[in-house]
Amino acid sequence: MLSPKRVKFRKMFKGRTRGVATRGSEISFGHYGLMSMEPGWISSRQIEAARVALTRHIKRGGKVWIRLFPDKPITKKPAETRMGKGKGSPEGWVAVVKPGRVMFELEGVTRETATKAFALAAAKLSVRTKFVEREEAHTDAE
Amino acid sequence: MATAQLTARSRARSGKGAARSLRRDGFVPGVIYGHARQPLAVSVNARELSRLLDHISAENTVIELTIDDTVSRTLIREIQRHPLRRSVIHVDFQELVAGEKVIVRIPIVLVGTSIGVRQSGGILNHVTTELECRVDPSNIPNRIELDISDLNIGRTIHVSELTIPDGVDVLNDAGETICVVAAPKEEKAETPVEGAEAPAEPELIRKPKPDEEVEEKK
Repeated sequence: MLSPKRVKFRKMFKGRTRGVATRGSEISFGHYGLMSMEPGWISSRQIEAARVALTRHIKRGGKVWIRLFPDKPITKKPAETRMGKGKGSPEGWVAVVKPGRVMFELEGVTRETATKAFALAAAKLSVRTKFVEREEAHTDAE
Repeated sequence: MATAQLTARSRARSGKGAARSLRRDGFVPGVIYGHARQPLAVSVNARELSRLLDHISAENTVIELTIDDTVSRTLIREIQRHPLRRSVIHVDFQELVAGEKVIVRIPIVLVGTSIGVRQSGGILNHVTTELECRVDPSNIPNRIELDISDLNIGRTIHVSELTIPDGVDVLNDAGETICVVAAPKEEKAETPVEGAEAPAEPELIRKPKPDEEVEEKK
């Protein structure tokens, strides 16, 4: 699973996710992409589950790009603990996602395979998603 | 060279509020500029523009733009889209000056199926999809075709191997990769490793404070 190697601080504030993604909102590497349609947190487990779903469906062909990195630590208090006494201990890592963010990209597969693979991957994520493809240049116009 | 026609009208108001009210009325705010003219704020019918963009290659098609009864030969320089809805929110036109070369991005179209993909199940990776060229506006090619049917696994095609039409100066580096056929990767069988589910805490870049050390010991 993805997680940072070195960090400056062990714990982080929750924060609020406002607005839309202006960076990482274009397809940059592959031909097809999976775009987030709402803000949310994607955990490292969800990213891994989505990656496995993608690579299993496309089998041997195709290349996958993961354009998320879970760099935000999430803390949790132990079970049956009273409130207070400070923040809990780090439990995992999430990536903060804004609407419009292209989370995964695919190349070297047919459109049908990409659609099905992204549908399987989207089922592993906690945000609504949309299938997007690279805007092709219409080169036949005269 | 491809050409298309579009009608625009000049607008007096500029800024965020004016642009938003234009978009509400079904127009797209834009600007026209060029070497030999003052920039002019214009607006284009959104439906007309999106219909045009569905049929042309926006970056290398000369647009004959009619603004209040004057016709200008222009190129679309930038299209700003809404990150989520993908609708056009602003468009830049550059007026062309006769005899002056312009820098355009010409799409590279791969023709055929490579032998590496067809016979060995390789993965075709189209790395550079557009070529930056300096060209006369009257001589802009629609596309640059590249036949990849002989491309085998591990082979790469570079910019230097392209057949470029006369009068086109390529600005990309000659060693830049256009496409490559990579060998297929077998997915490794996943064996669950003890402790892999809970990754160890990452190392701190700074020195931990004394109270953090106490907390960790707990």
